Amino acid sequence: MEIVRLIVGGILPYTALVVFVAGMAYRFYIWAKLASPPMTLFPAPGDDKSTALNTFEEVVFFKSLFRGDRVLWTLAWVFHAVLLLIFVGHFRVFTNVDAVLMKLGMSEDAIGAMSSWAGGAAGVVILLATLLLLARRLALPRVREITGPADYLALLLIAAIILTGDMMRFSTEHFDLALTREYFAGLATFSNVTGAAALEHGVFLVHMCLALLLILILPFSKLLHFGGIFFTHQLIRKQ
Amino acid sequence: MSDTSGDKVASSDGIKEKVVEAIKAMRNGPRAMRMYMEMCAKCGSCSSVCPVYYGKSEKRYNPAERTDLIRRIYRKYCTLSGKLFGKAAGAEDFDPEDIEEWKEIFYECTGCRRCATFCPFGIDHSVITRKGRAILDQLGMTPATMQKVVDISLKTGNTDGANEAAFRAAIEFLEEEMEEEHGTPIKIPIDREGVDYFYVPPSGDVLVNPEATMGLAKIFHVLGMADKWTMSSKCFDGANYGLFTGNDADMKADNKLYVEETKKLGAKTMLMGECGHAHRIMKMMMEKTGWWGDLPFQITNCMQWTADVIRSGRIEFDKSKNPQPVTYHDPCNFGRSCGITEEPREILKATCADFREMVPNRAENWCCGGGGGLSAMDDIIEFRMEISGKKKLEQIRQTGAKYVATACSNCKRQLTQLMEHHGEEIDVGGVHDMLSRAILVNGKAAERTDYT
Repeated sequence: MEIVRLIVGGILPYTALVVFVAGMAYRFYIWAKLASPPMTLFPAPGDDKSTALNTFEEVVFFKSLFRGDRVLWTLAWVFHAVLLLIFVGHFRVFTNVDAVLMKLGMSEDAIGAMSSWAGGAAGVVILLATLLLLARRLALPRVREITGPADYLALLLIAAIILTGDMMRFSTEHFDLALTREYFAGLATFSNVTGAAALEHGVFLVHMCLALLLILILPFSKLLHFGGIFFTHQLIRKQ
Repeated sequence: MSDTSGDKVASSDGIKEKVVEAIKAMRNGPRAMRMYMEMCAKCGSCSSVCPVYYGKSEKRYNPAERTDLIRRIYRKYCTLSGKLFGKAAGAEDFDPEDIEEWKEIFYECTGCRRCATFCPFGIDHSVITRKGRAILDQLGMTPATMQKVVDISLKTGNTDGANEAAFRAAIEFLEEEMEEEHGTPIKIPIDREGVDYFYVPPSGDVLVNPEATMGLAKIFHVLGMADKWTMSSKCFDGANYGLFTGNDADMKADNKLYVEETKKLGAKTMLMGECGHAHRIMKMMMEKTGWWGDLPFQITNCMQWTADVIRSGRIEFDKSKNPQPVTYHDPCNFGRSCGITEEPREILKATCADFREMVPNRAENWCCGGGGGLSAMDDIIEFRMEISGKKKLEQIRQTGAKYVATACSNCKRQLTQLMEHHGEEIDVGGVHDMLSRAILVNGKAAERTDYT
């Protein structure tokens, strides 16, 4: 058990972060460096400002997909929007955001209620969206026939992270906010990382491990589309 | 026996090396090439908007799968995950035995770019299709029907292999036709230097469906600009099959002939004809990327020019000459790749009594099924008629149109065959064809009525 805590709690977080940052930086560097002859696809914005606006619309609203496949758009947009919400919500786990929110005038109860209602709803919705995306992948022949092990693994990994996250969200026995903040404070200051009491929760340990694994593989899998999308639309929607 | 099998192994080794090297080179760009290898989420939205996959929903016709033929090898040789986890990470080695299938599959994409229009990441599978074809071309495996067109074009300057005498005879015939129609001589100048406009049609618009060229000649005549334009007896075909075989050197060699000819003629404007890929190469590729440096001339399309003339009110039409319902098929290269969608409609609405839209249209238009050069391949006519052209046929039928106007020789050939194959009595022709029938010369439209 000690060794697992050392690897997941002490080594993996730093490794994942370094690999992720370096991996994505390398991608961005390579992409930006490569020659990009015009390959305009119309209708295309005429100037840089509208090209940037178009990229914004694609990134935030999935504009092209909306016109092409409304069912997938609904699932994909809900999934990514809630994912962003959950990402932001996690800052409350890492550090004491409450103090800031209270300065902004929120009461402790209000913060707790927001956390459990918004967080709880997000946890359910994203699990549902993920399962529906998986179901779609299995049900539609045109999607199933182009799906490989990596595509299923990515979805299953994400589903497992959500599931363990939901277990902590909906049950008090797997999770202790104060201890978790203590652990992340330790991570940030390189102190008492493996000894943190938060790591004694098995579900938390699994959740951490899978989430860090996901972060680790992001730059090497199709999931790097979260960074690539800023480039690819400009390739074709630019005059 | 051992000799032949030895040869076979050697040659398949050679194939493998070349294919793998070509795919590894994709790491070095262009940016799109590398990003498309790394980015696809396999969401399947491309297949739901692809005309080929619509025609037959089989794995081999799935755009993402076609791109994966190359992507799997890229992952195997160029990505860490592919090297470490192999098939689990979507990586696979190239099997030289697959090359026979490649020869078919990369010529089963019409390069229409409809997938790119709807892909959430804007992945343009036509880029990978062209890469696949380029690899085949390097191996000397371009389908014979395509290679023939390239060879003829580089040898004679046009895809029909017509010589100067044949061209001059065709032009003479067109002038006679126009004189008969209007009772007055209407000229098509050849090799005239120092003019404003050098007209570069597809050779089909001189030799096969010449009405478009007649239409343009009539506009110049009516405007009193008969001596302000010219055609060339050497360069009368903007078609350039290097785009379709993926061979950049061929594409540039063919293109250079036309740029040089324009300079030689000293024309102020290169007036591209009703040929989508020709216009795209000139305007969107050659001019934008500056293949030959700064150009002493402008490039515009005859539809843009004509629409301008119509807007200026300097020409008039008798719409009753075109009473049948007419629809417009947006050639992919004009619509999606050059953004020329309104001008042909302006011309058709000005010259036809009953213009109808296909739905969807413009940038979202469905390909005719003959794009990417497939239209010239009669060895796959069954595929073009039953699979890649299926959606277009349905779309055209829904309009109730009796004439499909389109501005591309490839589309025209595909659509003409499609209508014949499926027993539809619907004519197919150009945009300026309609104009040619309706334009008033000395106050009167053409006398002729038998346009079959």
